[in-house]
Amino acid sequence: MHRRKFLSLLGGAGLASAMGVTKSQAASGHSFNGYPDAMGVLHDSTRCIGCRKCEEACYQVNDLPKPEKEFKDLTVLDTKRRTDAKTYTVVNKYNTAGLEHPIFRKQQCNHCMEPACASACFVKAFTKNSDGSVTYNGDLCVGCRYCMIACPFSVPTFEYDDAFDPLIQKCTMCHPRIQEGKLPGCVEICPKEALTFGRREDLLGIARDRIRKYPDRYVKHIYGEHEAGGTNWLYLSGVPHTELGQIEVGKTSAPELTSGALGAVPMVVGIWPVLLTGAYAISKRKEKIAQEEKAEAVRATRESAQEEAEAALKAAMDKATKDKAAAVEREVKKAVAEAEKAFEEKLAAAQAPAGEADTGAGESPEEEA
Amino acid sequence: MMKGRSLLRWAGLLIAVALVSVWGHEARSSKAAGDSAAGYADIITIDIVGEMGSTELPPVTYRHDLHTEAMKKLNKDCSACHKTQDDKMSLKFMRTEDGSVAEMKELYHSNCFACHAEQAAAGNNTGPQDGQCRSCHNPRPAANSEWKDVGMDKSLHYRHIAAKTIKVDGQDVNCAACHHVYDETAQKAVWKKNTEDSCRACHKNAPTPVVEGGEAMKPALNDAAHLACVTCHVSTATAGGDTGPVTCAGCHTDEAQKQYKVVAEVPRLERGQPDATLVTADNLKKATLPAVAFNHKLHEAALDNCRTCHHEGIATCTTCHTLAGKAEGNFVQLEQAMHSLKSQASCVGCHDTKKQDPSCAGCHSMMPASSASQQSCASCHNTTGFKPEELEGMSNDVKRAVADAIVAERPTAMPTFRDEDIPETVKIDALVDKYEASNMPHRKIVKTMIAAVADSRMAAGFHTDAATFCQGCHHNSPLSKTPPKCQSCHGKPFEPSKGDRPGLKAAYHQQCMGCHTAMKLEKPQATACADCHAERTN
Repeated sequence: MHRRKFLSLLGGAGLASAMGVTKSQAASGHSFNGYPDAMGVLHDSTRCIGCRKCEEACYQVNDLPKPEKEFKDLTVLDTKRRTDAKTYTVVNKYNTAGLEHPIFRKQQCNHCMEPACASACFVKAFTKNSDGSVTYNGDLCVGCRYCMIACPFSVPTFEYDDAFDPLIQKCTMCHPRIQEGKLPGCVEICPKEALTFGRREDLLGIARDRIRKYPDRYVKHIYGEHEAGGTNWLYLSGVPHTELGQIEVGKTSAPELTSGALGAVPMVVGIWPVLLTGAYAISKRKEKIAQEEKAEAVRATRESAQEEAEAALKAAMDKATKDKAAAVEREVKKAVAEAEKAFEEKLAAAQAPAGEADTGAGESPEEEA
Repeated sequence: MMKGRSLLRWAGLLIAVALVSVWGHEARSSKAAGDSAAGYADIITIDIVGEMGSTELPPVTYRHDLHTEAMKKLNKDCSACHKTQDDKMSLKFMRTEDGSVAEMKELYHSNCFACHAEQAAAGNNTGPQDGQCRSCHNPRPAANSEWKDVGMDKSLHYRHIAAKTIKVDGQDVNCAACHHVYDETAQKAVWKKNTEDSCRACHKNAPTPVVEGGEAMKPALNDAAHLACVTCHVSTATAGGDTGPVTCAGCHTDEAQKQYKVVAEVPRLERGQPDATLVTADNLKKATLPAVAFNHKLHEAALDNCRTCHHEGIATCTTCHTLAGKAEGNFVQLEQAMHSLKSQASCVGCHDTKKQDPSCAGCHSMMPASSASQQSCASCHNTTGFKPEELEGMSNDVKRAVADAIVAERPTAMPTFRDEDIPETVKIDALVDKYEASNMPHRKIVKTMIAAVADSRMAAGFHTDAATFCQGCHHNSPLSKTPPKCQSCHGKPFEPSKGDRPGLKAAYHQQCMGCHTAMKLEKPQATACADCHAERTN
């Protein structure tokens, strides 16, 4: 195949794949605003007293292993903790400048509206449910831990101490309990309604209402309203959320950022091999045809040459045969003539002497041929 | 042999380079640390040439107290740098009037360099010499300014009134030492009793003409204050009297201000102000609400200066704030001047911040912002006040007498119910589950809270009904001796139809803990469950 032809083919394939990306991005659901009736929880840190009842309730409803120190022990709050495979939620204490009292914030899975863990999981072990919760199916999990890397809030945790069937663990927003019409364990036990459960839409209204009614009590920012594309767990605070260990995560969800690139993967994986194989096959076929043609030409040439040679040979043979025949004839004629002459001479001689010379002269030309 | 030597030479060179770079790095970091440490109140920016339009070099950053101290060591006084005209020390350097750019440049350079050179020759530690331009013309000086605004509060003002070292010829009061107004007939500033005003009333941020269109100028506030305060302090100190600070740091640092003697019981100022006055609209025909009697005497005692309400100058509110608003009052209408929540100068704005006091915050921090009711309007615009039409043609004296009468009628103590009308205990048992019922000492709590505001005239004035106080906890309830219980409204949590109304358990906890936190009560702690309700054992 010609180089130029190959390049133009390649370009065409590239264009097709680029168009494929645009299409997949549009179809990736970046305009998804969450399920309309999805539930959520609003955590109001101005109400939280750091009693750790939510941690205890979480442990009970999820049958988690008993922690070293009991839940009544509030000295646990003196060190910053994070969630792990045995703890789906923790309350941390923050001492902020200019405030005489500490602030407490509960942390757990934020149940993103577009969860990064789910989009990173290539076996679809994570599900964003219509009730707002993000749940995980250990039966599908292959243990790659991509979800742990993908989560902007470092929520999914791995059972490192389980050698045979380690699973990812995280808060389920008590999805099974919600399905039964119950409240999440932590929400139900909270003595101050520092956790409010309801439709995410209603919670946003409630949060805005609190800010409007108590402007001195809150900063005007509902964490989770837009963070990481919006989360079903929302937060109100009296100090900037970053002072309570909340990361600045931006408004775009991780899947929205990656869907364009990831959407192109099946296309690249599916189409490019076909295209390239096709291009390869075409060039191979051309090569084969050319070879066949060449072989044919060689054969034809060879055949015609052979024919010519044969013809020439035949002609030469014929000529040779003819020449020989002519020569023989000539020789015969000559011999006959000589014989006739000799005969005549002998005859003449014999006519003169006798007839014995007549017979001998008659046999001799045949012997010569 | 040669190879070994050259290797050694290279290694030596590398080590030297490394050492220099380490030293260089260290030198940089130590300097950076030193920068943030220094802070002075006496940093003055001299930009007289720059203000005239020259951009040749950046302004000079100059430390005044450093020079005052140096002069003291040399047995020199202010006159070494400041000239005196008409018995008044000029605040300008070595001159009484500014000249041209060239003249100013020459004046500063020759005088500064002359003194520095002289001191250097004498072996003293001194400032930059000729040629070291950037040492003075330094846009980014090593030191930070810790300059702090200073104001004359009631205590400081009283100390000036009572000071024996301030004497005004022919007067038995000290007012004339500072307060003056321009007398057109005498063509000079004289003291006139009961016209005393804040310095800001006349001295603005920039010099202004004494009389409109005239050539004579009133100095700007900055100059006027330093002329009056510093020169008086200097001359009094020179005469050997007890006086105030003469250095920048003496007034303009946080530290110095904290050390000022504070007179706790300051006698009332004598400036002819009323004890009470009727705040009336500028246009009585357009006014609709009854005029408010304002207890001026009470507010004088509650604040530590006049400026909080009177802004720049002492005048009645309606001089600048009218029903429609006008330029003098920055178009802030009378209604806004009295009711703006955002301003500390307005009645409502200031009262609102007073609610942050722990004795008030227990109830008031739980109340939504700007939840004014008709009831709160009537607290001030009450029916005992006079209607606008009745005020027309009323003389000021009569108005004051009326205001005095209304103010005198106001309660001095908050109305409360009799003890037997306040339930002694309330048993909270609706939710008994993991904890036993809580016996809330209802009467004890009520009486403790009332006792906390017993001395507050504000509480007395605004809690107009005995049941008003109950509304702190029994919120959204009408005034009643038997307000609804918590269960009347609070039940199951998270009912979408009830919006943000907490469930019963949270309602109790939010109310009790919220109030305890706002009142800064240490005990019981919010997490000490058993302090209020014993844990159930069975």
